Amino acid sequence: MDILQTIQEELAELLDIEKEEITPDAYMVRDLDAESIDLLELAVAINASFGIDVNDDEIFLRLLREFLEEAKDAGKDAGDFLEEKYRFLTRERIDDMLNDLQGGPVLKVNDLISYVSWKLENK
Amino acid sequence: MPRRVVITAFSILSPLGSSPDTIMDNFKKGNAPFEISPIDDDILICPVKNFNLKDHIGRFKHARYLERGAQFCVASAVDTVKNADLQDDTLAKAGLFIGSGPSLDFGEELSYLNPDNPDLSKLKALWMLKYLSNTAASVISRLTGIHGDNATIGTACSATLQAIGEAFRKIKDGYLDLAFAGGGSSRFSYSGIMAYKKAQAFFVVKKGRDNNYSPFDTSRQGFVAGEGGAFILLEELEHAKKRGAEIHAEICGFNASISGHSMTAPDPEGKYEEATVRSAINDAGLMPSDVDVVSTHGTGTPLNDDMEAELIDRVYGDHKPFILALKSWIGHLTPACGAVELALCIILMKHKYLPEIRHLTNPCHKSLNFVQNGINYPPNTVLLENFGFGGQNSAIVIKPWTE
Repeated sequence: MDILQTIQEELAELLDIEKEEITPDAYMVRDLDAESIDLLELAVAINASFGIDVNDDEIFLRLLREFLEEAKDAGKDAGDFLEEKYRFLTRERIDDMLNDLQGGPVLKVNDLISYVSWKLENK
Repeated sequence: MPRRVVITAFSILSPLGSSPDTIMDNFKKGNAPFEISPIDDDILICPVKNFNLKDHIGRFKHARYLERGAQFCVASAVDTVKNADLQDDTLAKAGLFIGSGPSLDFGEELSYLNPDNPDLSKLKALWMLKYLSNTAASVISRLTGIHGDNATIGTACSATLQAIGEAFRKIKDGYLDLAFAGGGSSRFSYSGIMAYKKAQAFFVVKKGRDNNYSPFDTSRQGFVAGEGGAFILLEELEHAKKRGAEIHAEICGFNASISGHSMTAPDPEGKYEEATVRSAINDAGLMPSDVDVVSTHGTGTPLNDDMEAELIDRVYGDHKPFILALKSWIGHLTPACGAVELALCIILMKHKYLPEIRHLTNPCHKSLNFVQNGINYPPNTVLLENFGFGGQNSAIVIKPWTE
């Protein structure tokens, strides 16, 4: 199953937008205007399509800002800390995110794909 | 000086069409799109053809939570806001009053929720939004920028007329200067059809006879479901004048009550039904003899039409206003019937025309002035009444606009 294509189809239907807008590099909230209830529906849809148990907090990076606080309080390196929390993301992607925090929610379509591939591999 | 309330915008999505010209053309040609339900060939329906929510609101992702009736509600509300052409800050202060039934579109959700064999993975996270009665209100506010006082009223087939009545009173009593009111409904899903079929409220098609839906005829034997929606913009007169709004009609009086007689049937004596009609006329500062047109609830059920015909005879006596039954043209739009029939009354007043009660050949009451042939006539005072399951009663008085 092509993960990108399946997620594109689900997002196109959920967000009522064209598939072409849903590139791997598109930000879910900043570009595609996804709201919390859309993410709730997306988790249900991904669950059903891929037969995986989606953890909403993980896939949507919901606790990202809390983790950064936690790392700071514990005097740990933010990148190292996130790498441990988000096993499905590469270090490169985590570093990108850390440089991008001022711009708003960092979640991208590609992060969803990374999560799903990681889940399928570790099933 | 008492505040006067006028109608400054409206829109309608009905089986007869959505533009006043098309609707009038259909009235005059006698066209009404009744047909056999594709779900059950015992049942007639009166559908709205080629309805597509996107044509009215464009792309909107949360439309996924709207059942078809709520789609008519949202579409007609958005159309009315467009017709009203208000500034954003005025719109933000406007009220929003909606009449709504429960969703009877029990779809796949029910099968997924079978406790013996549940399949929760197929349920939408927020599937319940389809069944919440204020989902349409939430969508309308988001799409249009209406943010004022609001309520969603669930009084069965009296619901939209009561929503309009509530808006009328809020404006008359000074709480609001303007408010949108109306609703939408469709009962053509399998569960919608079966709800009324099991209740034996439907007209049932039988072979070897004319299957004509004929309210107030001695042969009547149940109602035919229609679908659609309508909204009106109610506005305080001076507010409307100040912004140079076109005035379509005036709302002069309203009343509502509850009979406490039966869960579904009207009280044959029509005690509180009659009190409601009289109070609405009184609220308008008028006498029954001032009413020249009555737009009846006229469902075509044996019990309703008998009760209603007797009630009309008692209230108006020898005065004999013209009697309309608009459901003979569009079917019964259940909770949305009041708003849609009111919009039709506005159109008929403007076009100075009274359509016949279709297929009425043997009236169930001998001394009422049923309109049996369409006539050119300029209505002066129209009383519109609706009676719903649960003993819900409502009546409103409207007049063409004059200083």
